[in-house]
Amino acid sequence: MAVMQRIKAVGAWLDERLQLGSTIAEVAEHPVPRSSASWWYIFGSATLVVLIMQIVTGICLATVYTPAANGAWESLIYLNYQQPLGWYIRALHGWGSNFMVALMLVHMVQVFLFGAHKYPRELTWVAGIVLLLCTLGMAFTGQVLRFDQDAYWGLGIGASIAGRSPLIGPKIVDLILGGPIIAGETLSRFFALHVFVIPGLLLAFVGLHLFLVLRLGINEWPMPGRIVTREKYRQQYKELVQRDGEPFFPFAAQKDIVFAGLIILSLVVVAAVMGPIGPGGQPDPTIIQTVPRPDFFFLWLFSVFALLPPWTETFLMLVGPPIAIGLLFAVPFLSGTGEKSWRARPFAVVIVTLILLAIGTLTWLGTYSPWSPQMEAWTEAPVPPDYLKGRTPLELQGAILIQYKQCRNCHSLGGQGGMRGPALGDTAARLTRDEIIRQIVQGGGNMPAYGKNLSPAEVNAIVAFLGTMHPANEPPARDSAKPAEPAASQ
Amino acid sequence: MIARGCRLIAIACAAVCVAGCDWMPGRPTQAEMPLRPSAITDFARLYGENCAGCHGVDGKLGPAIALNNPVYLAIVDDAAMHRVIADGTAGTAMPPFAGAQGGNLTDQQIDIVVAGIRKQWSGDKSVGAGAPPYSSNSPGDSNRGGQVYAANCASCHGADGKAGNAGSIADASFLALVSNQNLRTIVIAGRPDFGHPDWKSYSARQALTAQQVSDVVAWIAAKRPASMLSALSAAQH
Repeated sequence: MAVMQRIKAVGAWLDERLQLGSTIAEVAEHPVPRSSASWWYIFGSATLVVLIMQIVTGICLATVYTPAANGAWESLIYLNYQQPLGWYIRALHGWGSNFMVALMLVHMVQVFLFGAHKYPRELTWVAGIVLLLCTLGMAFTGQVLRFDQDAYWGLGIGASIAGRSPLIGPKIVDLILGGPIIAGETLSRFFALHVFVIPGLLLAFVGLHLFLVLRLGINEWPMPGRIVTREKYRQQYKELVQRDGEPFFPFAAQKDIVFAGLIILSLVVVAAVMGPIGPGGQPDPTIIQTVPRPDFFFLWLFSVFALLPPWTETFLMLVGPPIAIGLLFAVPFLSGTGEKSWRARPFAVVIVTLILLAIGTLTWLGTYSPWSPQMEAWTEAPVPPDYLKGRTPLELQGAILIQYKQCRNCHSLGGQGGMRGPALGDTAARLTRDEIIRQIVQGGGNMPAYGKNLSPAEVNAIVAFLGTMHPANEPPARDSAKPAEPAASQ
Repeated sequence: MIARGCRLIAIACAAVCVAGCDWMPGRPTQAEMPLRPSAITDFARLYGENCAGCHGVDGKLGPAIALNNPVYLAIVDDAAMHRVIADGTAGTAMPPFAGAQGGNLTDQQIDIVVAGIRKQWSGDKSVGAGAPPYSSNSPGDSNRGGQVYAANCASCHGADGKAGNAGSIADASFLALVSNQNLRTIVIAGRPDFGHPDWKSYSARQALTAQQVSDVVAWIAAKRPASMLSALSAAQH
């Protein structure tokens, strides 16, 4: 007991000087509307808890990570394979980043649909958008610090987008990369961004965001017909809290705590099951056997850039992002008053649904990028034996040439191979012999002309093989100008 | 109750920490360690990434000759196999794989592929006993070859090589795309995966002799149109 009294005495001494107790009590007990203590209002605090996890695991990783071009990849390999539990800290940090981006997006959608960005909370939303950009900045710089092939080429793509800016393009590239190429200084720069600059901004804006939430109060549960006006809202909120308020702790905080606990638990399990993200192969530009992909949350951008018509690329890449970000910042100023409830804001619901659908679809496309040829298919995707059994020597040579001439890199066969061109399995059911020859020799549609790269014998062999490519129950295509041969049974 | 629950969770957490990371499914294994393409030494992976496209999964049922064929492996030696993989066969669709020739494999990796093919697919060595040699310096006699063809091949490939159930082997385009060595290898080793016989199974009475193999290859090669002869021989020599 004497020990307890001693601790209490020290606590009292400190509190008298720091005045912390009353501040904390004030924050913890500030009244919130009863309706806001909802399972819908828990995503922001969960994001913050994951951020704290990220800081802790990030510091652990920084004690081992070598921020130098010739040691970064090796230090991650050391963490993954030698340092006890090093892989697990990497897994927590990598999946933590995915969790954080996901929770932040859910939080943002919820805030938007519940009208929490409206008067007087416009700047809370603006601070939130800065936090979103900082988090995505952390995600991108973190991906660069992994310094594997994905990081190397991702950085190259980022720099070449920036390099398209008129007049100042080369200067921006120099600023990002620390020179005209990806080299030692590049990594130091991104290390400084990931560890000092962006986290500093992030923490400052988290502070502002929370301060504003405390001062302005948590958004009340929106009801259709309850209109926000600049003249009356503050008074209405005050009355609501007085009439129907509860202290934040424990009334509302208990749901936050339970959900944050569940999130941490899921993160711990996901990291243990899925393991660390990368690193992939060495960041060596001489290794060309690579299929670089950005991390999950940038896949939709990867798809957008891949699918843009070439003549719009430069304009949309340089003008699109500033406009999109500008619009996000402008949201509370464009609709700062009026209805809060999503039930009374069909336009808002449609916009959110469309954006989520678009991003979801583009992300899904980005996972398998059907527009990219599969450069290894010609040597590693076997020809399904069913297409080969009972074929003549010439047809077999055609099958070999389909591989050797790398047709499979764009055309799939038996589900393996590129998806730029149509699958070859039913070629003969779609095209006559003459049409196949014309297509191969002259190209057409999206296909280059191969006439100059194939000898007549090679064309004959390929056409002979493709001529066998029709389903067993479907006759080959025939020339419509020629009369059909009478069926044998008639 | 709550205290007991907390204690249980604490014990569980401690157990996880003590047991460490070995059993957790996410822990990366040495096999997942990213390797430089030139540092890959696993035969299955090298074969799968470089050869399976044409020679088939498991070395058979691909469009190019079956490597999973004990007769073939009995007649070809490691040096010849290494040479073909490294340098390719000019004029045909077998590309060079050696780095010096523009391919992706190191010399050591080619050795691994050769050794792996031999180890995995040599099978019963007695199957290839007495087979004619892989290559021959003596030019065959195409006239005698015609008789060999008529007796052993015509039943499937048609009289004079023009048709038959198994398709023509006198087709000008086909002959422009295959080397004489390729013809010889198939005559001797067959394509067991597609039911093509080997040198001793064409006729129930007797196997082909080395001379007969050379003769029939000479007869088939003589069907190659003159316009293609120069191109192919220039590429092969």
